[in-house]
Amino acid sequence: MNIHFDPYSILGISRNANADDIKRAHRRLAQRLHPDTNPHHPGAGEQFQDITLARDLLLDPDMRRQYDDEANRRQSGGDLYFTLRVTPSRRAVLQLPEEQIIYLLAEISASPGASDTPKQETRLNLTLVLDHSNSMKGQRMERVKGAAVRLIDDMRPGDILSVIAFNDRATVIIPATTIDDKARLKARVSVISPAGGTEIYQGLRAGYDEAKKYLGPRMINHMILLTDGHTYGDQDNCLELAKTAAGEGIAISAMGLGHDWNDDFLDRLASSTGGSSLFINSAEVVMRFFREHVKALSNAFAERMFLSVAPDPDVHLEMAFQLSPNPQPLVIDDGRIPLASLQPNRAIAILLQFQLPAGMNDGFRTVARLVGGGDILHNQQQAFRAVSDVSLEVTEKPAREEPPPAIMDALSKLTLYRLQERARDAVDRGDVQEATRRLENLATRLLEMGEDNLAQQTMSEAKYIAQTQALSDRGRKTIKYQTRALMDSGGLQAALSSLLTAPPDSQS
Amino acid sequence: MLACSHCGYKNRVGSLFCEDCGRNLLAGAGSTPVTPTRRLMDAPEETSARATWGPARIGSNTSIVLQVRDAPQPITLNPGQRMILGRSDPQSTVQPDVDMNPYGAVEKGVSRQHAILEFNEDTLMLLDAGSANGTFLNGQRLPPNQPRVVRDGDEVRLGKLVAYLYFK
Repeated sequence: MNIHFDPYSILGISRNANADDIKRAHRRLAQRLHPDTNPHHPGAGEQFQDITLARDLLLDPDMRRQYDDEANRRQSGGDLYFTLRVTPSRRAVLQLPEEQIIYLLAEISASPGASDTPKQETRLNLTLVLDHSNSMKGQRMERVKGAAVRLIDDMRPGDILSVIAFNDRATVIIPATTIDDKARLKARVSVISPAGGTEIYQGLRAGYDEAKKYLGPRMINHMILLTDGHTYGDQDNCLELAKTAAGEGIAISAMGLGHDWNDDFLDRLASSTGGSSLFINSAEVVMRFFREHVKALSNAFAERMFLSVAPDPDVHLEMAFQLSPNPQPLVIDDGRIPLASLQPNRAIAILLQFQLPAGMNDGFRTVARLVGGGDILHNQQQAFRAVSDVSLEVTEKPAREEPPPAIMDALSKLTLYRLQERARDAVDRGDVQEATRRLENLATRLLEMGEDNLAQQTMSEAKYIAQTQALSDRGRKTIKYQTRALMDSGGLQAALSSLLTAPPDSQS
Repeated sequence: MLACSHCGYKNRVGSLFCEDCGRNLLAGAGSTPVTPTRRLMDAPEETSARATWGPARIGSNTSIVLQVRDAPQPITLNPGQRMILGRSDPQSTVQPDVDMNPYGAVEKGVSRQHAILEFNEDTLMLLDAGSANGTFLNGQRLPPNQPRVVRDGDEVRLGKLVAYLYFK
């Protein structure tokens, strides 16, 4: 039997639980997770299948013995694991006749010592999808090609690389191939020359076809899309393709170069696969991004990570934001959030915001069930899941508690990102007054935090919209990606931030 | 609901930062909290206006006396240009010129900046400064920030705190 989770922890029971315990635990969870009682949360349906599978397995004496033997063998074999730790903003809430908010900080980290353990054979299956439209002409194109060449040098023998160049059509420059003759591969990259417009779907589609050729459980499958332009009319196709790719374990990271590209679209494209999106002001930085990104990828401890969130039927998940490793908003459409890779030394941290219903009863109650899952590349049996059931106390007199500093800190910065978002929304609605007010608020908060540079830029952007009724392309992206980078001092976007204020590179 | 002490935006309970202005909603909560204005459950609503006939005109050497009901001593106001009536609070950035704390301001629902008395050439104007429980002139609730002429002997109510203004 191929069961990829611990049925005991899924049901929240001990190893010596008897049949009655198992049935009772299942019934209790089924009340919360059954698709009929929880129709608004698709994540619940998936988790419901897991608890039913776990119950059936444990109620069958043969299968249960088989699982126990297998688990003992794996434990003594030193299998690695990851943990899911969930911290709520408060442990007790006031009983109130109105809705309330609660935040949960979910952190997934690799087991200690993960980085020292010798790895099973894992290989990188990397696809570069590079924009070579006319706007890339000159230095930009040369720099990007230089970065790709350097990347080939960095890759290890046995890794797979494919390179696609696209404008309004796609050309396969290097079909998916094992890195062996590096000189030949580099020569192929050097012939890319700029022409035509930008149609991202063409490039993405060709890249996906190449990536699929070497898809496998020991592989880290990743696409990097680099573009400097707007794509028209094919965005929905791109998002659809990204979803398919994510389902097959391919993550897509997106890099926007310069100021003339659609950041909302690239953000969504990347986050719907668990990849990251990045704003790059100057082509000089492309090489650095490529190298660091690939280094992190080949160092991955687990792949195809996800967080499944199933709130109780009366609880509503309002927002999910990844704080680390790459701060970005997450797409929560179906309750299963793709997260791509887990690094050995760097936890994945996600902040979730829930609305609790009005008029909750006194006593302890559950809020949501979170499941962190993914494939641990080191293990023979790769698939692994960690479960956390979150509950809190509803009372008329909750004890005074300070919110955990980690949540306060993350939220103080996330609040800035959201002010920025609201300012953008206001501009898009044509409400200049509202947008100006939001930006001024944002600038004040930034000053309080000592972010003088960014505050200055925000203020000048506020003046700019007063005159033109629109944000400047540059200001729009700078403010967005820099407020985001505040959450992640060690991250790549933060490292690039200092360069964002530098003048953009020349076009020719 | 949890009103932001800075911008007044009503956040849901459990929020940690104001959705509207981004300020920390818990700031200062550990040390000396800002005492929020008590919103009176039975805040008096409009009652019929009562006409008073005292003179409206004041001379340059007229002094203004504010007599809070049931208070032993009247307050003599120095005729400045503009006087804020309200309740002092160490955490607040603006302090009132006339502090109603000695007269049970908190219990009676007086805001930190409740109402403003202003001289306009030879008349005295009263205006509500956006208070939580309202400013009433002779029983009539004033719309916020709209000045009304005050006459000698008028009844001024800040929330539930009743006072009379005399020109002397």
